[in-house]
Amino acid sequence: MANLFGIPASVPEPVRRLGAVPRIVGLLLTLFSLTLLPPVLVSLYYQDGTHTAFLTAFALTLITGAMMWRLGAGLNRDLRIREGFVVVVSFWVVLGLFGAIPLYLAERPVMTFTEAAFESISGLTTTGATVITGLDTLPKGILYYRQQLQWFGGMGIVVLAVAILPLLGVGGMQLYQAEIPGPVKNEKLTPRIAETAKALWAIYLGLTVACAALYWLAGMQPFEAIGHSFSTVAIGGFSTHDLSTGYYNSAAIESIAVFFMFAAGINFALHYRVWQSADIRSYLADTEFRTFLALVVGVTTVATGVLYFHGTYPDADRALIKALFQVVSIGTTTGFTTADYATWPSFLPMMLLLGSFVGGCAASTAGGMKVIRFVLLWKQGLSELKRLVHPSAMIPVKLGGRNVPSDVLQAVWGFFAVYIAIFIVLFIIMLATGLDELTAFSAVAACLNNLGPGLGEVSGNMTVVNAPGKWVLILAMLLGRLEIFTLIAILSPAFWRR
Amino acid sequence: MLVIQRLTGLLLMLYSLTMLPAMVFSLIIDDGATDAFERSAALCMACGVLIWLPVRGKRRELKVSDGFLLTTLFWVVLGLFGGLPLHLSDRPGLDMTDAIFESVSGLTTTGATAMTGLDTLPQSILLWRSQLQWMGGMGVIVLAVAILPLLGVGGMQLVRAETPGPMKNTKITARVQDTARALWMIYLMLTLACGLAYWLAGMSVFDAICHAFTTLSTGGYSTHDASMGYFDSKTIHLIAALFMALGGLSFAMHFVAWQRADLMTYWRDRESQVFLGLVAAVTLLVTTALLLGGTYVEIGDSFVNALFQVISIGTSTGYATADFTTWPSFIPMALLLGSFAGGCAGSTAGGIKIIRVILLAKQGLREIQRIIHPHAVVSIKFGGRRLDARVVNSVWSFITVYVALFAIMFLGLLACGLDEVTAVSAVATSMNNLGPGLGEIASNVTTLNDPAKWIMMAAMLLGRLELFTVLVIFTPAFWRR
Repeated sequence: MANLFGIPASVPEPVRRLGAVPRIVGLLLTLFSLTLLPPVLVSLYYQDGTHTAFLTAFALTLITGAMMWRLGAGLNRDLRIREGFVVVVSFWVVLGLFGAIPLYLAERPVMTFTEAAFESISGLTTTGATVITGLDTLPKGILYYRQQLQWFGGMGIVVLAVAILPLLGVGGMQLYQAEIPGPVKNEKLTPRIAETAKALWAIYLGLTVACAALYWLAGMQPFEAIGHSFSTVAIGGFSTHDLSTGYYNSAAIESIAVFFMFAAGINFALHYRVWQSADIRSYLADTEFRTFLALVVGVTTVATGVLYFHGTYPDADRALIKALFQVVSIGTTTGFTTADYATWPSFLPMMLLLGSFVGGCAASTAGGMKVIRFVLLWKQGLSELKRLVHPSAMIPVKLGGRNVPSDVLQAVWGFFAVYIAIFIVLFIIMLATGLDELTAFSAVAACLNNLGPGLGEVSGNMTVVNAPGKWVLILAMLLGRLEIFTLIAILSPAFWRR
Repeated sequence: MLVIQRLTGLLLMLYSLTMLPAMVFSLIIDDGATDAFERSAALCMACGVLIWLPVRGKRRELKVSDGFLLTTLFWVVLGLFGGLPLHLSDRPGLDMTDAIFESVSGLTTTGATAMTGLDTLPQSILLWRSQLQWMGGMGVIVLAVAILPLLGVGGMQLVRAETPGPMKNTKITARVQDTARALWMIYLMLTLACGLAYWLAGMSVFDAICHAFTTLSTGGYSTHDASMGYFDSKTIHLIAALFMALGGLSFAMHFVAWQRADLMTYWRDRESQVFLGLVAAVTLLVTTALLLGGTYVEIGDSFVNALFQVISIGTSTGYATADFTTWPSFIPMALLLGSFAGGCAGSTAGGIKIIRVILLAKQGLREIQRIIHPHAVVSIKFGGRRLDARVVNSVWSFITVYVALFAIMFLGLLACGLDEVTAVSAVATSMNNLGPGLGEIASNVTTLNDPAKWIMMAAMLLGRLELFTVLVIFTPAFWRR
C-alpha cells in the first residue's frame, strides 16, 4: 500500500528529508476538518445561512489533509524530536490558514483573505485580537466558530507547553522535563504526548464545563455561556459582543471570569499534581504560583488605588472589581474588557500592557514570557548583586530548594533577549507601516504576548492596521505562541540538514 | 568608610578649583557671572574642608569593593555641587532642581538640558556646562577602563582580560592612577585636535573649545539652541562626526593604537569592527529612507545629515544638525533605539555597549544551535577564546536589569503625567546618556515637572554607572561585608 506510487525507492533527497512531516500535517488537517462540523450544526440550528461556507471549508480541508496523509505514508514513519517541531509549528501555521477558509467564504462578515487569516490565527494562538466589528449582529455560526478556534488553540497550547517545549528545551523549559505527567521514562515522543494530552485535556475540559455552567447560572444565554467559557479557559479573549464582557455589566459574571482566567493561567501540570494528591495546598508550595498570585494581588492593589483616587470610580468596591478584572484579564493575556482600560488615568494602561509581558505561568494557556522566567531572571539578578560584593563566592540560583542548572538559566536569558530583540524589530516595522508610536508599540505587544487588545488606535480592534501590517502581526502572534525559538529553529537551515 | 569620607572631601576641594577657569574667564569678559562662580567655589571648598578635616589622618589601601561607593559618590556629590553656579548666577537663574539636572546631565555626559536661550547666556556659564561634560568624560574613561572591569560590573571583567591596555594592576588606586595618566593624555590630545579642527573650519575660539569639550566626551551640550545646526558648514559637521566616533571607540584602543603607531589596531578589534559596521549600515539605511521620503533632495545633504545624526545618537552624544524627530516614518524611533547599543566599552559613550550586544547575539545564536542539537556542547567564543560562564551571566543580568529599570522608570514618568512617546524617550535618552528625546523633549526638558526631572537624573546616574555600581550599594550584603 505504501508503495502505491513507488515513492520510497525514487523519492528525491529533499523530499525524503521531510520524513514524517507530510503525513503528520495531513493527519492534523484531517482531524481539524472535523472541527468544522459543529459550526455547521450551530448554523443550521439558528438558520443563519453560513452552513455552506463551513461545509465547503470542511470538504477542502478534509481532501487536502487526506491527500497529504496518503502521499506521505510511504516516507519515514518515525516521530522524532524534529517532527515534534514540525507538528507544533504546523498546528498553528497550517491550521491557522485553513481555519481562515470559512471566514473568507461566509457572506457575513465580508473579509479579505488577510483579514480572515488574521482572525483565524488570532483565534488559534488564543490572542484574541480581532479585525471584525459589529460582532453582535454576526451569524451565530461564525461567532461560535471563532470561540471554538480559541478553545482548540488552547488544547494545542496545553500539550505544547507541558509535553513538547520541555522536551525540545525551548527557552529554559527543560526545567519542566522531570515534571511531565505520564510515563516519563519512555524515550519515544508519541506515547508520552498521548498520555499527557489525555490527562491535561481532562482538566481542560473540566474547567471549561464548570466555567460554562457558572456563566449560565449567572445569567448568560447557553450559547454565550459556552462561547465565553471556550475563550475564558483558553485565555483567548474573543467575545460574542463588541463590548466584550462589559456587555453583561454583572459583577457575578465578572468574578466567574476572573476565577477561570486565573485558573487557566496556572501551570496545567500543577493542576494535575494537585488533582492527584487531592491536596489544594500543593498550589502554594509552587514558587511560580506564589509569584503569579502575588503579582496579581500587588498590581490590582496599585490599580485600585489609582482608579479610586483619580475618581475614575468613586466607589471603592467598583474600583476594586474593575481593577481586578482588568489586571487578571491583561496579566493572563486573555484580553477581555469590562471597561475601556486604555483610557484609564496615568500609567495604568501602560502598566497593564507591560504586565502582559510577564503573562501567566509556564504550561498554562496564557501568553507572554511566563512568570517562571521572570522568577529566574529576578533570582539571577539578585545573585549577581551578591556576587559583586563577594566576588569569589559561589552563589547558585535555587528554585524550590534545588539548584537550577546553568544551561537552563542561560536559555532563559537567551529567550528574554531574543524576545526583546524581536519585539523591537517588529515595532520598527509596524512604525514603517504608518502607525503612530503608541499604536505600533501596543499592537506588537498585544500580538507577541498573545493578549489581544492594545492601546491607542488598536484598543478595540485591529481594523486600522493595513494588510502588510496584519501579516507582521500574524507573525508576531505565531512567534509568541511558539515561544520564538520553535519557529526560528524550524526556519534555520541547520535544522533541515540534520 | 572614613577613608571614603576623606577622599570625598579631597575631591570636593579639587572640584572647587575646576571652577576657577570659568571664574577668571567671566572676570575677563565681564559677563556678570563672576560672583556666582566665586561663591560656588568658596562653598565647594568649605564643604570639602569640613568633610575632610575630621578624618584627614585616615589612610589605608582601598579595597575593590570601596569602588562601588566611591564611584557613585563621585557622580552624585559633584553633580549636586556642579549645579551651584547655574543656580547662583542671575542668568540663567535656574531653580535648584533645574540646576542640579543640568549639572548631572553634564557630568554623566548625557546632554539633556533644562535651559533655553543658550545664545544669550553669559559665556562663562556656557563654558562651565561644556567643562562639566569634559570632566565627566574624564571620569567615565577611568570608570570604564579601570574601575568597572575590576569590579566586574555587567561582565566588564571581560574587558580587563581582552584589552591590551596599560592597566594590568589589580590594586584599585594604582589602576586608577595608571589609567588616568595614560588615557587622559590621549583624551586631552584628541580634544585639542578637535578644537583646532573646529577653529580652522570656522568656529570662534570660544565655540571651538566648548564644542571640543562636549564632542570627545560624547556629551552633546552646545553653546547654541540650534546645536550643531547653528553652524551651516558640512566641514564642521564631518569633523564633529569623526571626533564623536573617536569618543565612541575604546580609549584603551586609542592608547594601544598610539603606542604601536598602527591604525589597523582598530580594525583587528572585534568590538570596533562591529561598531563601525553598525554605523555604516544604519547610515546607509537612513540615507536611503531620507531620500525616498523626500526629506532631502540632494544625496550629499542626505548622507551628511544621516551620518552625523547616526553617529551623534549612536555614540549617545546628542548633537543635532536637523530636527531628526520630524524625520519620516520609523527613523526617529530606530535612531533612539540605536542609542541603546551605544558605543564601545571603555569609551565615553553611553548605552548598553557594543560588546554586550555582540555577546547577546552570540548567545542567541547558540540557543538556536542548542535546540537543534540538544547534546552538542556549543560554547561562546570571543576573540578566539572560550568565554567564562560567569562573564556571560553578568552580561545577561545587566541587560535584564537594564530593561527592568527602564520599564519601572517609564511607568514612573507616565505617572508624572508625560505622554507615552515623551516618557519612553525620556527614559531612553537618560539611561543611555544620550540627551535629546522625542515628543515634548525633542530639544529640551523645560516642559517637564520636577518629579519627572528627578527620575531622569536617577536614570542618567544609573546608566552612567552601569546600574550595578549603584544598585549594589542598596543591598544589605554590601554594608555587612
